Amino acid sequence: MRTYTRLLDVFDRAESGPMIEESQWDMNLVPKTVARLLAEYDIKMKPVNETVVLQDDALADRLFAAGLQMAQELGVYCSSTSRRIIFSRDEILNALEVAPVEVTLGDGNDRHTERKRKVEDSLFPTIKGGGVGTPLPEDLYLPITQSYVQEPLIDAVINCTLESVYGREIRSRSPWEILAGWHEVELSKAAAKRAGRPGIPLGVIENAVSELGELSATSYGGASLNDWHHIAMISEFKTDYMAMAKLAHLIRTGAIIHSFYNTIYGGSCGGGDGMALAIVGGCILLQMVYMTNTHSVSPAHPFYGNNTTPEIMQAIGLAQQALARNTRLLTDVVLTPVSGPGTKTLLYETAAESITATVSGACGLIGPRSGAGVNNGHVSGLEARFNAEVARAASGMSRKDGDVLVRKLIALYKPILEQRPKGLPFNEVYDVTTIKPLPEWLQMYEQVKNELREMGLPLH
Amino acid sequence: MTVSGEAVHRLQQELTAAIDEADIQRGVALARDALSQGISPLDLIQDVIRPVMKDFGEAFARLDIFLPELMGASVVVKAMQSQVLEPAIRQSGGNSVNQGTVVIGTCQGDIHDIGKNMVSLMLQVNGFKVIDLGTNVSPQTFLDTARREEADIIALSSLLTPSLPYMKDLLKRLEGLGERDRYMVIAGGAALSEEYSKRAGFDGYSEDAITAVEICKNLMKQRKGAQA
Repeated sequence: MRTYTRLLDVFDRAESGPMIEESQWDMNLVPKTVARLLAEYDIKMKPVNETVVLQDDALADRLFAAGLQMAQELGVYCSSTSRRIIFSRDEILNALEVAPVEVTLGDGNDRHTERKRKVEDSLFPTIKGGGVGTPLPEDLYLPITQSYVQEPLIDAVINCTLESVYGREIRSRSPWEILAGWHEVELSKAAAKRAGRPGIPLGVIENAVSELGELSATSYGGASLNDWHHIAMISEFKTDYMAMAKLAHLIRTGAIIHSFYNTIYGGSCGGGDGMALAIVGGCILLQMVYMTNTHSVSPAHPFYGNNTTPEIMQAIGLAQQALARNTRLLTDVVLTPVSGPGTKTLLYETAAESITATVSGACGLIGPRSGAGVNNGHVSGLEARFNAEVARAASGMSRKDGDVLVRKLIALYKPILEQRPKGLPFNEVYDVTTIKPLPEWLQMYEQVKNELREMGLPLH
Repeated sequence: MTVSGEAVHRLQQELTAAIDEADIQRGVALARDALSQGISPLDLIQDVIRPVMKDFGEAFARLDIFLPELMGASVVVKAMQSQVLEPAIRQSGGNSVNQGTVVIGTCQGDIHDIGKNMVSLMLQVNGFKVIDLGTNVSPQTFLDTARREEADIIALSSLLTPSLPYMKDLLKRLEGLGERDRYMVIAGGAALSEEYSKRAGFDGYSEDAITAVEICKNLMKQRKGAQA
């Protein structure tokens, strides 16, 4: 592959780059670099009560320039060696120039090609439905996954995690993690077959906290190389040998790589402006270190775990615009609402973030990770169907029109964010035998769709 | 010497300004001046530093300020304590101003640390001595450090469900070695719920950095009450 030489550079530099203590990286170098670049490049977003979906192309372009500079100055910290993996500006520009503008995921008739989108693009974003690592009871893993696969508007599935494996507690970096990785693949593939889409691309291996789960379950009889395989960059801009062991395996097997970076609002990068900068710089660094096919971001609120607060959505939107306007990178947004299934607010939050990401040029929408992914079994396929419908309706919409809708939706859910409405578990919003939404949940979904139509969203 | 309300107010304003400007030397000079005017180190801590840091903590809880600003406040106050107040207290034969000693880390199997860093910092700005072990910390390392530092509290963080068994391993190890009563063990992070925490037998559970401080303060009150 054309990036293989960089793989060796990454490993070499992880063992030869400048050394720095992790606490200095976290508490000194990163925050100071972010603060300086925000000032140098004049990155200041408007108050969110004025605009959430920004429409300032010059600001988006300055944000990209600042992110590029940040990627060059900081590099990525390897916590296994306490060294910085650093790239020159030319190396970064060359890597961005050859980054893929499309990738075909999945197998057979169920393949789907994710493509580069522009700001306000009429091309539909790729819809990757699923609970994004939310823990599920073992006995419900298959039906819940099936509830996503069976949705025709969903192009790919993002797996959840297992609460247990064969009734036993899963322990990371142990034999149990290997069994959990295999079980995840078995159950999700079975769900795909049951729904008649055996080759649908699956986001895997969600149970691979360490390299063990990924290396074992991405092998003969396990996950397909055409599934989309995850590697994390830990906040802020950190990797380690566990992640790089996954990387070596995935590159040598030729698997599709999806990497992600989830910065924290109010953390080392500060507020919304710093978060937007971190997303841009982070996506560039994901490409540099992991040679990624697709990238995703899911910034998190420090107290609620979600990313549907107006400040965070504003940062996501601007960062997506910066990346869409200035790079070939295939960047996705993970929708992480705070509410759970069976609540109207889950649908309001999903719609707001779906519109923000779609009009801002995101290539794919992942999730929704309902209830911020922390409530066992509290996810369902219906919210992913809803996300797909909203994204399609918002494709081609202007940022200005999108902003009007998003601010109307925020007004509906912002007052309840602190309450974190957990909603209901899957088996109380779906019939677990027929895998159909129960009438109450379906009715709520229809009501919210009508409300969105009345607001002006052209939903079918 | 009793500090007048007016003097307290002025010192609080000066300290706030020193923190806002990230001016360590100004903070240190403020502490020296206060002591030279006859204000005791403990009064300065109690009446000036703690209320100001409480304000910063509350501003962080509202997200009016962010982690870098909180870190800046912590740096200024740490310099005041280490360069001026602690030497003065030692010289006068007084006791440490430490609210309690906390050994903190992200549990084995998990490498997420921003939430843990927030808790660590909030504890420090509230007067706790914190030994931060970083991420992917084994139960034995927590125990060895707690013994060496004579810790009061061990604080465990985890974002990922598969690292929870390692949290429980620490409790089992403490029980097995007859040291369970020696340390209070609290847990937090997205992987846990209060219910899980109670079932597992932790002494406290916190969803965020703000409540973690309150829990540690309450636990220290209980410990001091039990020792009295």
